Amino acid sequence: MRAPALLFACFVCIVPGLCLAGDDLRGRPLYEVKGRPPAPDFTLEDTEGEIHRLSEYRGRVVILNFWATWCPPCRDEMPSMQRAWKGLRERGIEMLAINVGEDEDIIFTFTADYPADYPLLLDREGTIIKEWPVLGLPTTFVIDREGRIAYRAVGGRDWEDPLVLEPLLKLAK
Amino acid sequence: MRFSLSFLTRTCGPVVALAVSTVAAAPESGTREDTGLKYWQWNEGGISLLVEQRLPDQTRAFFLARGFTSEAANVIGDGCVFKTDLRNPAAAGSVIDYDLSQWRVVVDGQRKPMMLKDQWDDRWKAMNLPSPPRIAFRWALLPNRQRLDPGDYNWGMSAFGFPAGQRFDLEFTWLRNGEERTGIFQNVECAPDVESLVPREGAL
Repeated sequence: MRAPALLFACFVCIVPGLCLAGDDLRGRPLYEVKGRPPAPDFTLEDTEGEIHRLSEYRGRVVILNFWATWCPPCRDEMPSMQRAWKGLRERGIEMLAINVGEDEDIIFTFTADYPADYPLLLDREGTIIKEWPVLGLPTTFVIDREGRIAYRAVGGRDWEDPLVLEPLLKLAK
Repeated sequence: MRFSLSFLTRTCGPVVALAVSTVAAAPESGTREDTGLKYWQWNEGGISLLVEQRLPDQTRAFFLARGFTSEAANVIGDGCVFKTDLRNPAAAGSVIDYDLSQWRVVVDGQRKPMMLKDQWDDRWKAMNLPSPPRIAFRWALLPNRQRLDPGDYNWGMSAFGFPAGQRFDLEFTWLRNGEERTGIFQNVECAPDVESLVPREGAL
């Protein structure tokens, strides 16, 4: 079962200079959420002005990340998220990152240093995050094809680590 | 190390074993070479906890950039703020729960609870601080309570509300797989204000 995740990780890391994720984030697994509760739905605008409704992603695996520009562990994991997303997208896995409490200008400036091609959604008043079991940033959820919360990670992760990729790819099969 | 512990226990009895156990649980503290800031670190009982000084100016600048008024930024800048990093370093099998409302500070012989988000928020409301900077503040502080599964960690500020340079003890508790553990950082020191590090005009 581990081979596809390892192969995928090798593929992502084969380009020189891409394996820069901090050692500190390696070896940190995703936590399996028991009972897979339904993911609270939301509708949010992204930094490009597009509207995203979570329930419209039903049928696909979604990585949902809550973050802020000032949060150091968020910054630590974002480069590996960006690199991993390019490959994950081809396998039908979506990535949405909900910024908490900041505006487009701050995020625009931030993404000059931390490019992110996946949608960056805006929870300006922090209302959506209250509907989710989030106590600190970053917190990331993996939502299965049926719209249920399958995994959770509190704190940053290396999204190219086979330990993280394996359950994602298994869910997307 | 395992051999020597076992050897000591067998030959010198429980008194030595207790002493060794106490030494093993001693927190580490020091000063960062690059910043000059002091830190206190605990790596026992299934957690890794780091408490590290933040300069008042660092904190003022951070919150000014998030919409704080200069009056409010001065309040939090003078609020003895630390970076706090709490981790569950286990690869598997260990669940950590903590609740900051159970932590205590001991200052000038008095033992009292930590200042938490709600108390700070009351101050910001009294100062008519609008919602966006208050949201930023709430999320910038270490969560009041949390469960950390293997590999989980969290980072945030802790604001104790003491004046710059104040010394205090921090007693912290956590549950490891439901079993209560305790630790203490002694003589923790709020960072001095930069002003106190710069010679005033005419002082030399």
